[in-house]
Amino acid sequence: MKIAVLAKVVPDYEVPAGDFELAGNRAHARYTRMIGLYDENAIETGIQLKEKYGATLGIVSYGQSEDVPILRKAIAMGGDSLHLVLGESDDPYVIASNLKIALEQLQDVDLVLAGQQSADLDRGVVHGVLAEMLGCTFLAQISRIESDQGRWTVCQNHESGSRMLQFSGKAVLSITSSPENVPRIPAVRAIMAAKKKPVEKLQGTDAPPMQVEEVKVEIPKLESVCEFLPFEDMQETSRMLLARLREERYL
Amino acid sequence: MKTLIIEKIEPKRIGELVTVGRILGETPDLLALGEGEVPGTYPRAYQCPETIAANLVDGVADLIQRDGYQVVLLSATTLGSEIAGRLGARLKAPVLSEVIEVKPDMTVKRPLYGGKAVAEYKIQGNPVILTIRRKYFEPAPLEGTTAAAVFNVESPSVVLLSEEQVQTQGVRLEDAEIIVSGGRGMGSADNFEVLREMAGLLRGAVGASRGAVDEGWASQTMQVGQTGNIVAPAVYFAVGISGASQHLAGIANAKCVVAVNKDEEANIFKRARFGVVCDYHKFIPALIQALREEQ
Repeated sequence: MKIAVLAKVVPDYEVPAGDFELAGNRAHARYTRMIGLYDENAIETGIQLKEKYGATLGIVSYGQSEDVPILRKAIAMGGDSLHLVLGESDDPYVIASNLKIALEQLQDVDLVLAGQQSADLDRGVVHGVLAEMLGCTFLAQISRIESDQGRWTVCQNHESGSRMLQFSGKAVLSITSSPENVPRIPAVRAIMAAKKKPVEKLQGTDAPPMQVEEVKVEIPKLESVCEFLPFEDMQETSRMLLARLREERYL
Repeated sequence: MKTLIIEKIEPKRIGELVTVGRILGETPDLLALGEGEVPGTYPRAYQCPETIAANLVDGVADLIQRDGYQVVLLSATTLGSEIAGRLGARLKAPVLSEVIEVKPDMTVKRPLYGGKAVAEYKIQGNPVILTIRRKYFEPAPLEGTTAAAVFNVESPSVVLLSEEQVQTQGVRLEDAEIIVSGGRGMGSADNFEVLREMAGLLRGAVGASRGAVDEGWASQTMQVGQTGNIVAPAVYFAVGISGASQHLAGIANAKCVVAVNKDEEANIFKRARFGVVCDYHKFIPALIQALREEQ
């Protein structure tokens, strides 16, 4: 079984709104770069499948050479190989076309796992586009995966519950977070070993982008002014809060 | 713009998409998924019992091409995200997801960076596939029903083995006017009991942050935030929630946020209307008692 996980390096997604600034319509370069959070859930899911079924696990990314040291975390967690297609586009069609290059080079990948959405563009589009380009099944928000004689059984989390789905053949699955796929923290020895792993760098390709023009990007203002209530006497504060909520007709 | 809505038979979701469709032109056509009457009136409606998006793409792509739809509207839900990318790639159509604003000239806005930024796009090509973030558009009231033409799925590739609907006690999260949400600061699953008690007294629903769901303290259906449920209650109580931008993205349209947090520096206070800086163990029981006294 051969599994590929798509991983994207993004600016620190935990920077609070108050400290966030843009440069050229994108996050300022000063923020620490890291693998996106759902991508780490996907990597963890991939490693668990590797451990369970003896699969090989390739980590595939589209980005810049500077991302390599950050992507090595995926190897330290348990990935077998790292494949980076070089490019800088944010267009989902261009990204998917480039990821396809790496997947074709890996040959006979049974399953492609991706994070539910990237931690910078918050789109959740690339994986579906890629599945269509590869001509395979695509299922979103998967939390569990099992394999049985060429058939896959997966659990999909949706807004009002979950469901078990079954299919055969190759697929791209987007992975959501669950208590079972909280990313493991790699051991120091594994981090050191991951530094020595060779990285396959592939030249990116020009592909037709979507017919969409990005007009502008802005940071919306948070205009709420918090009224702090006293905290000496909780009974009093509780009554005060309820009274204030009624006064302003929220309750 | 000739527009097609694809959505499960859920009046609020369909209503929001009708509102968006009317911004772009006349009332859109509808492809309703699931069983039951098709709520609302449309120039043309189709109905398909299938709700697995993977099995719908082929038929939907043919329909769009045959009838010349210029805009396809989906909700930014599991179903919407499952269908949008594949459909877009099939039709070589632009796909914009999680859209929060739409203008008649095909300018749309969507958030980036966990809601810390908002990007505006001008769409040039068509057809275009849009997934619309929930709770950003007032749902159009759907009057009457429409007799829908049967839409069949040929050779489905994905099989539904079982479905589990999480039973919610009381009010559904997405319909709740009051939501009491807990985060990592709750400390354990058992501690959510006080939030349930409080929500019960307020006739509200209990929510959770992604942190609490990842800890296994709350079910994933309770998750509020960018990648969970997008909610717009009158009052949102954030208890032990730090207020990461991805969480705030799920409550952008809440009218009043009340934050209870030990850490006065917590980001949630920047979004809150009322704040109580203290251990929730002290405050929530007092609030419950105050609510009881009122009854």
